[in-house]
Amino acid sequence: MGKGYTGEIIQRHADGKREGEYLSVNVDFILLPDPTFALLLSEMKELGRKIWDKNRVLVTVDHFAPPSTIERANIAKAVISFSTEEEIPNHSIYQGICHQLLVEGPWLKPGKLVLGADSHTTTAGALGCLATGMGSTDILYTLVTGKTWLRPPDTVRINLKGKLPPYIMGKDIILELLGRSGEGGFLYQALEFYDMDGVIFMDDRFAICNMVVEGGGKNGLFRPDKVTRRYLEKRDGHCDNWRDSFDEEPSYIKRMEIDLSSLHPKVALPHSPAQAVDVDDIKGEVIQQVFIGSCTGGRLRDLEWTARLLRKRKVAPGIRLLITPASQKIYQEAIKKRYIQTILEAGGVILNPSCGPCGGIDKGILGAEEKCLSTSNRNFQGRMGDPSSKIYLASPLTAAASALAGRIMDPREVM
Amino acid sequence: MGLPKRITGRVWKLGDHINTDILHPSPYFSLNEARVNEGLVEGMERLGTDAKKDSPDEGIIIVAGENFGCGSSRETSVRGLRSFGVRGVVAKSFSRIFFRSLTNLGLLALECRDIQERVKDGNSVLLSIEEGWIELADKRRFPFSPIDSHMKKILEAGGLIPYLRRERDER
Repeated sequence: MGKGYTGEIIQRHADGKREGEYLSVNVDFILLPDPTFALLLSEMKELGRKIWDKNRVLVTVDHFAPPSTIERANIAKAVISFSTEEEIPNHSIYQGICHQLLVEGPWLKPGKLVLGADSHTTTAGALGCLATGMGSTDILYTLVTGKTWLRPPDTVRINLKGKLPPYIMGKDIILELLGRSGEGGFLYQALEFYDMDGVIFMDDRFAICNMVVEGGGKNGLFRPDKVTRRYLEKRDGHCDNWRDSFDEEPSYIKRMEIDLSSLHPKVALPHSPAQAVDVDDIKGEVIQQVFIGSCTGGRLRDLEWTARLLRKRKVAPGIRLLITPASQKIYQEAIKKRYIQTILEAGGVILNPSCGPCGGIDKGILGAEEKCLSTSNRNFQGRMGDPSSKIYLASPLTAAASALAGRIMDPREVM
Repeated sequence: MGLPKRITGRVWKLGDHINTDILHPSPYFSLNEARVNEGLVEGMERLGTDAKKDSPDEGIIIVAGENFGCGSSRETSVRGLRSFGVRGVVAKSFSRIFFRSLTNLGLLALECRDIQERVKDGNSVLLSIEEGWIELADKRRFPFSPIDSHMKKILEAGGLIPYLRRERDER
């Protein structure tokens, strides 16, 4: 079989209809970010149908946040007007990146089936959900029916074991995995992570699950454990209906193992997230910009380590260091803990929580031939600006170290 | 709408791991069809395919390698293909969101590992949906993987939205 927890979640949501290899399933929650939600609004109006359950959607204005062109202003406006008219209770304007807001809110718990109109919806798998992205037309179908058609995927178990060195973050772990599998190496598969020693922080789990899609994965989930439980208790003030059956071991088609203690900080070379090398192999590469942010690299732990490295130091002359906290909540925490102050003193520039530079949407666009080290998830050609620019992906630690050096730098040399 | 028995088209040949950021650069994200089309032309130029030369009414078939359409879920890339006159994509393998979006918008997404190395940009190809093969300019035929019966229903309806209307009428 090899269906994992993912297969179990699909089975529990199946409504009994089947066609070909696809099962019809009930969906628990939908994430609707501004551009891809806007794309389905006119068709939704034409269909003359309503959202199946208004309480089970989160609408975010986070891509065009705030809008930088008239057209984007009108797209954001259409989304805001629709959400207001339809009285959608969970709608968030400029409060942060959708994938962070989705896990900050009280909606998701282990075992939920979640869809989003954005490929990085896989992020929420860190909470033990089956979370995956789809295109706007698929999302429209779910929005009015509460259902979708899923093909149960083959599932790969990935054991993460050993002591986590202080210089290794979630980004290094997922880049290691993508480097091993190659781009598309997990096509259509579900990845299930087992943190064997309970050492991986939730923020790092989000970074890992966020990027399973870069390997072609349908979804990635962390087997719920004490880290998950602690996160939910802190978030909700309680943790009800915790299933103890997570200990029962489902079957997998394949097993992989990553020994955390032997990992080196990783860098993905242009133009593929799977082109991962050890930082030593690219050390010294001159860059012009460092971006620390996005739905995979702008969380509190990312800002904490950025601040720790930058403390009482200065960003190298000529380097533009851009920081985007993933949400307003994280931003406020980072202010309270003085991370923001430290970053500013070192010469960093703080942008408001939004998608911004990661997708080449606004602020921090790269010019011709420029090179940027980024903690985001994709280094595809032209993603952050000019088609001749180059993006290197790395952890916030490696990014902060590189901002200080003005070139790609091993964080172990400054820690 | 419905699913035609046969389709002919001129080939746009692409490589492996063609992502949606290059296929349709994000600055061209728009609700305006003309702007979306400009994005596709820009993407095709970046990929070295001379899209400007092609007339939409000829019918275009993209022939690509592995993991076609990886990356973002932005459906503008698929909408661009559709409004430009692309009838379908034959690839060695597809990225899952892109595969679904092609089908959802009524475009064929066919898996075939044998033809990408054998075609050139501008070649004409013939697809027999009914019999499950692709015929190249030299008349050689190669089978594509059978279309799943669920996906076939969506394609026969003309896409997921017409399928949704039909599903509702049947209730």
